[in-house]
Amino acid sequence: MKVSELSFAYDSKKILDQISFQIPEGRITAILGSNGSGKSTLFRLMTKNLKPDQGTIYLDEKDISKMKLREFSREVAIVHQQNRAADDMTVEKLVSYGRLPFARKFCGKSQEDQETIKWALGITNLRKHCSTQLGKLSGGQRQRAFIAMALAQNTKVLFLDEPTTFLDIRYQIEILELIRMLNRDYGITIIMVLHDINQAVSYSDEMIGLKDGKIEVQGETKRVITEDVINRLYGVRLKIKEVDGKKFVWNVRHKSM
Amino acid sequence: MKRTNRIVLCFMITIALLFILFFTAVNTGGLKVGAGQLFKGLFIEYDKMVAAIYDLRLPRIFISMLAGAGIAVSGVLFQAILQNPLADPGIIGISGGAGFFTATAAVLVPSLYLLTPVFAFAGGCTAFLIVYSISWKDGLRPVRIILIGIAVNAVFQGLVEVLNSISGQNVSQVASIVEGNISVKTWSDVKMLAVFIVIGLFGAMLTAERCNLLSLEEKTIQSLGIRVNIVRLYISGIAVLLVCICTAVTGVIGFLGLIVPHIGRLLVGREHRVLIPYTVILGALVYLAADTVGRAAAYPYEIPAAVIMAVAGGPFFIFLLRRSKTV
Repeated sequence: MKVSELSFAYDSKKILDQISFQIPEGRITAILGSNGSGKSTLFRLMTKNLKPDQGTIYLDEKDISKMKLREFSREVAIVHQQNRAADDMTVEKLVSYGRLPFARKFCGKSQEDQETIKWALGITNLRKHCSTQLGKLSGGQRQRAFIAMALAQNTKVLFLDEPTTFLDIRYQIEILELIRMLNRDYGITIIMVLHDINQAVSYSDEMIGLKDGKIEVQGETKRVITEDVINRLYGVRLKIKEVDGKKFVWNVRHKSM
Repeated sequence: MKRTNRIVLCFMITIALLFILFFTAVNTGGLKVGAGQLFKGLFIEYDKMVAAIYDLRLPRIFISMLAGAGIAVSGVLFQAILQNPLADPGIIGISGGAGFFTATAAVLVPSLYLLTPVFAFAGGCTAFLIVYSISWKDGLRPVRIILIGIAVNAVFQGLVEVLNSISGQNVSQVASIVEGNISVKTWSDVKMLAVFIVIGLFGAMLTAERCNLLSLEEKTIQSLGIRVNIVRLYISGIAVLLVCICTAVTGVIGFLGLIVPHIGRLLVGREHRVLIPYTVILGALVYLAADTVGRAAAYPYEIPAAVIMAVAGGPFFIFLLRRSKTV
């Protein structure tokens, strides 16, 4: 995916200003930045939820603004931050919606549809819950069900908007490990907006750091993440330590704070 | 109890209640016949009492059931589109628009009585277009539709009252819309209503899967390649058709499109392929019950079904909300 000179404003307030970058294929890319930095707007533009004021977003050399919604949904799957559904909808039914981009009028599910749904349920470890109603699932299982729905779209690109929000630490790790496995074992290109810098360090290969609607930093996460970069992105001084050879960001409380 | 068994039981009990109520409604009033006599009089040999019931009571009984089914299903569709439990064809102004156009036609061109459904549909569509176009701001937001609908409904209801007053309250069609009175309806009204209701209910069943999908976030539905606003528009079209044709015949009936879908969801769940057919039966049962109670409660006087629905519907709705864990 390639973003070229992208700009967007809400009324007169400029949110993104002439940004350009490329998402490497088959890698996990995290989009980081403070509140109001423009990362959610960038996510919405890249997922065809908003139209850019200027600039172009390319998917395999195709301008996504010229792609039909259905065509786009066959190429890109999205897991949003807020996921609402009827409480008595079963997991299998939800996951089966992932096949809608391929549905033909007045035709039932094809063999391929059924196999893909089964695969998505299996990979997210939800096969035994396929008849369970969504209202009876834990937060982590529910999030996995929505990821399974996106996986049933069988796309090479998966977008996730803050996939661990509202989850406790156990389910956060579970979801991030699942994302890592999807990338490693199935080669899915993953782009996710994250708030937690340590999650980005541990689970992303590349990062894009936004500040005031511009790209402040971009590159391999482990290499580019420094105390100075964090200060520039978030306006806060945090320490970076190495634990078992991996970077770990932590907050040192000062008396003046 | 297993979910499927519970659903089957709900269907069976509701159908049984509808049969019992049907025979109760047939026998409510001065004339009374047994089930055997009714069957014989209708299908085998002429019976003077059955003939009188056939002409006087059966049309209103069938109109009650058809309109009950239609209004209740339109409530299900509007609640699915707007994802809001307050959505009701009455509250969002569609019934008001249909009622106003029907009343206007009755005052200005009473000779065009046969075109009443067309006027009602035009009125419902006009109200629908006004509400949706004012609500449109980078897409449709359900809460905005409901709030603007409440305002539009108030205007149309006020205009119907004005027509009723300036016509000296003696144009029966206007009075019937204001009061929700179905006492003077005939078999020709039943036939007209039946044709449109069958078409509308068939259309509603075709949209059941899309209604289920609308329980997801708008962004999520879009990410599946579905244009949400197009889906909302065509489901709205079916809901408008259903409620307009009912309003043209029965007048504005409040609460029916609000409480029946709620009771339906509590009993059989939110799966629309089950909920829509169940609402058809339950809507027919509730409206027929309201009309029958209205005829029996102060006999020989009649209380319109719309009044019974308002008096009983409000407290019952509050009771349901307090009892439910999910609504």
